[in-house]
Amino acid sequence: MADVKRQFVDLVLQKIDENYEMQHEKITKVAQMFGDCMMNGGVVQLFGHKLNEEFVNELNFRAGGITPFHAIKAKDAALRGLLDKSLAQGEFLNHPEVLDTVLSIYVLDDRDMYCLISMNGNEPFVLELAKKVKANGQKVVVVTNMATYQKSGGTLLEYADEYLDFGAEDPDLAIEINGAKYGQWGTTIGSVVAQQITAELYNYFMEKEGQAPVLLSANLNGSDKHNNDSVQKYGGKRIR
Amino acid sequence: MVNAKVFKDEVKKLIENIYETQAGNIDETAKIMSEAIKKGGVIHIYGSGHSVGLGIDITDRPGCLVPIHIMEMTDFVYYGGVSVEEFTDKVNIFERRPGMAEKLFNLYDLNENDVFVVISNSGINGIVIDVAALAKERGHKVIIITSMTHTLAEASRHPSGKKLYEYGDVVIDNCGPHGDALLETGSIEKVTAVSSIANNVIAHSMALKIVENLTNDGYPLPVLTGDEAHDAAVRKQYEGRI
Repeated sequence: MADVKRQFVDLVLQKIDENYEMQHEKITKVAQMFGDCMMNGGVVQLFGHKLNEEFVNELNFRAGGITPFHAIKAKDAALRGLLDKSLAQGEFLNHPEVLDTVLSIYVLDDRDMYCLISMNGNEPFVLELAKKVKANGQKVVVVTNMATYQKSGGTLLEYADEYLDFGAEDPDLAIEINGAKYGQWGTTIGSVVAQQITAELYNYFMEKEGQAPVLLSANLNGSDKHNNDSVQKYGGKRIR
Repeated sequence: MVNAKVFKDEVKKLIENIYETQAGNIDETAKIMSEAIKKGGVIHIYGSGHSVGLGIDITDRPGCLVPIHIMEMTDFVYYGGVSVEEFTDKVNIFERRPGMAEKLFNLYDLNENDVFVVISNSGINGIVIDVAALAKERGHKVIIITSMTHTLAEASRHPSGKKLYEYGDVVIDNCGPHGDALLETGSIEKVTAVSSIANNVIAHSMALKIVENLTNDGYPLPVLTGDEAHDAAVRKQYEGRI
């Protein structure tokens, strides 16, 4: 039997290709939706909790990323004493009534659109958020894992203008050791999808405006000024 | 050229490179962790910013090892007496500050057999270096996950002048580029970060190897199965520590 690490790496490499074949046209379309929003003065508001937050963190204020993203995080409200910290760790997803509290600390704008990441697609908090912004005429992209979504009876896609899929089985355990399976790979593919969006979004900015708002790693000498200038130009307090 | 296909092809090369060059370090890490778990130890994971994703990806779902504790940056505010203003200061940036690690360690129930994994792409900031240094000083094994290309190209922001990798019993290179962004654009602005993808591959490779080691040694696996009673019982063994 091959080394378990080799098996896992081979699986991830295969799934990266499969996901690209499945939805690269939609990845480009989503990047262009994000770009149209940003070039119209909007910010792409990201929401995803826990495993879903990994996708958020690929796009939000990220080295080599595009500037006008902002993440909605329940912990921001908890850190400010507006939400109980134990609720912010996950239980808030079952409490749509705290949505306005969570949103109250951000500067949101009607030009913004939303990218909601939920593998289940059924959490009351995210459904309420989708309902609210759709009712306000704002665009919604959903990122989900279809196998999990179907298993969970998700309904979030009812609000989606477009969606992307991690494309993983549920559960996504593929490496067998002594008769049991381990090694989840779906979220890693999600991260690859997120960075493919970044690549296409960069291209779209270059094509339309001849320049793109790119953030540098905060751990490069001199990058703070570059990033602060970019933030001020593309949203200021709306994104940071 | 920058597009989704180029990124896909380049990140696959990076993942292959991680396996080709880091498999030995990952095996060594898994060996240290397996021995620690057999002695009742817990693996503490600390990473600032997006680096915390590595911990999230290998915990709290079926198939995951239980004795893993994520040291959350927000613990400084929730339990450590740091104000939100201090935590979110955009000038005196929190993650760059030295002298904060002890405050964090005091919040947790740490045992002598515990192992620390400290993750930072750059490996130059105050808190991560202090966390690794303090863990080392207290006799714990320390695993570092960093980008060697990045860390060797930048000056340390720690008063000691040291970099994170200098504290590692094992150092795993995530093989990422200087600045984390993979694709060249023809200017200083490269695009598409890769460290989280690399870290996830490293983390799952490590976890798989630990499960294999413990299985081969006949040690009862402390993993979640999705069975409520089983999972509650395994979590109970590590109550207050994870």
